[in-house]
Amino acid sequence: MLLEVRDLHVEFRTRDGIAQAVNGVSYGVDAGETLAVLGESGSGKSVTAQAVMGILDSPPGRITGGQILFQGRDLLRLKEEERRRIRGAELAMIFQDALSALNPVLTVGDQLGEMFIVHRGMSRKDARAHAVALMDRVHIPGAAHRVRDYPHQFSGGMRQRIMIAMALALEPALIIADEPTTALDVTVQAQVMDLLAELRREYRMGLVLITHDLGVVADVADRIAVMYAGRVVESAPVHDIYKAPAHPYTRGLLDSVPRLDQKGGRLYAIKGLPPNLMAIPSGCAFHPRCPLARDVCRTDVPPLHTVAKNRASACHFWKECLHDRD
Amino acid sequence: MTGTEPILEVSGLVKHYPLTRGILVKKQIGAVRAVDGVDFTLGRGETLGIVGESGCGKSTVARLLVSLEKPTAGAIRYRGEDITGLSPRALKAVRRNIQMVFQDPYTSLNPRMTVGDIIGEPYEIHPEAAPRGDRRRRVRDLLDVVGLNPEYINRYPHQFSGGQRQRIGIARGLALRPEIIVADEPVSALDVSVQAQVINLLAGLQEEFGLSYVFIAHDLSIVRHISDRVAVMYLGRIVEQGSHTEIYDHPTHPYTQALLSAVPVPDPEAREHRERIILGGDVPSPAHIPSGCRFRTRCWKAQERCVREVPLLAVPETLRTAGGPAAHDSACHFAENSLAGRELR
Repeated sequence: MLLEVRDLHVEFRTRDGIAQAVNGVSYGVDAGETLAVLGESGSGKSVTAQAVMGILDSPPGRITGGQILFQGRDLLRLKEEERRRIRGAELAMIFQDALSALNPVLTVGDQLGEMFIVHRGMSRKDARAHAVALMDRVHIPGAAHRVRDYPHQFSGGMRQRIMIAMALALEPALIIADEPTTALDVTVQAQVMDLLAELRREYRMGLVLITHDLGVVADVADRIAVMYAGRVVESAPVHDIYKAPAHPYTRGLLDSVPRLDQKGGRLYAIKGLPPNLMAIPSGCAFHPRCPLARDVCRTDVPPLHTVAKNRASACHFWKECLHDRD
Repeated sequence: MTGTEPILEVSGLVKHYPLTRGILVKKQIGAVRAVDGVDFTLGRGETLGIVGESGCGKSTVARLLVSLEKPTAGAIRYRGEDITGLSPRALKAVRRNIQMVFQDPYTSLNPRMTVGDIIGEPYEIHPEAAPRGDRRRRVRDLLDVVGLNPEYINRYPHQFSGGQRQRIGIARGLALRPEIIVADEPVSALDVSVQAQVINLLAGLQEEFGLSYVFIAHDLSIVRHISDRVAVMYLGRIVEQGSHTEIYDHPTHPYTQALLSAVPVPDPEAREHRERIILGGDVPSPAHIPSGCRFRTRCWKAQERCVREVPLLAVPETLRTAGGPAAHDSACHFAENSLAGRELR
């Protein structure tokens, strides 16, 4: 495993109490693999990524337990200086909103070049040349000229390419992309996802793709981890999960998406609301919304059951859920 | 399908925002052509979906329909009467019947007002719609209709989740018993599991109250789900329109074809054998719209003719003779039935 998150716990101290954002998340990514982390707002998918990157806002955020093994080393035990060396060089991140992630008062050339100056000790001139090559690599037209432009002079899609170029600069082993195309239009989203897939193959990088879009997941992922209320509730190879989900939440999500090739009818809707992280329901956090819920779901937290090779589900009644689909 | 008389007819609708230079002496140096000649009709009880990417002018169309903006040119006929030139008083009466639901349930509700006051506010503006003593009861009814507990009438917006807030916005839109609801991206800020609840609610309300919807969204799957007819916008114009089957199963405009092929399908089995059209480049700025066909700068079919000649929105000659679902309005010189050649999913 390139990256392995084990039983991670993160909480946020707020004025109103403690929000349990991440409650024992475990997932792993191999080199060259794409893992999609799927979840709705508040599921803890981004907080987990921030913990892995070491960019969690703390305070108020605090890691209260677990391990993050990257290339065999527990990142949580490293000194800040060692983590900084890894960040960018070995482990890079792409954010949803490129406009606020890029520095507005520096040219994109300076920002890309900074990576090479800081991590590789290059001269400004060499760094500039590398920046142009990178912009070429992510298919930005007229890179030699545009390297002197500022972020606001680029369109949304082009800015996201610059983010990708920046993440790619030092050829990291793993990239975490947090909703990289959510802010983009579909035709531009297709361009950016294509580029990401192409680069991932070329550099044999691991990719953690954080998203709420079931379509994007089906298009690019090898494996999926579905998160709910700060836990992974189901993990499986992508083909299996779409064919027969083993957790009622996953099933509900799949059924509630309108389809491009179908019209009308009532959509299946998961009843109720996502949980309040200050007061996560007892037992299985999904039980107030679950059609399969029984007494045991209100009292006992379901462990991750092994469903098949490489498949796990945190549902007491995963067999029933799988069976329903057939 | 329609079959009924049109309740709203839009013709030649244009909205240009002037670009000026200078502070004391303002000089117009150009214009952002946000909406640049749009025609459509909405039938009673029908849902017209308008899809397009950011900057295509779909939200400006929405704001024009509810008279939040004045059009630069063109007509909006409600029950046969052009409402763009009405006196303020006459317009106010019309507005009762055309209400809007906004995209962002977080900023479109006043945080200092209770839910009861928000939903009841339309009655302050149109006191003739409900007698004062009856308003509280009506607001409770509305809360019930949109699936919220009527006991919540004294709560504030921040005490609700995104999906619940969108229900409040819908209740406010319904307060005056309008005939037409213009919904601008009503579910795009919501999570998938909540999105389905709100879509079902909108569909149920349409049936119950016989509403006509103009449903504006960028999500093509949602638009198909809810719409009877669909109009595809690009850079201020409708480039293709027709019934949902005509547009989704038999798109003839290259932009629609590219748009549909770019939508990620939630089915991993499909990814190996679906053909995708990846468009080059970005949408041009609406301040500098290309000559001729406005899509030509990104179109793989573009030829000399597309630079010179603006394609009109009509049933293309080549497809009319064959008839069938491919024979619908498409603004392309080289429109063809894509399904004849390739499988689009």
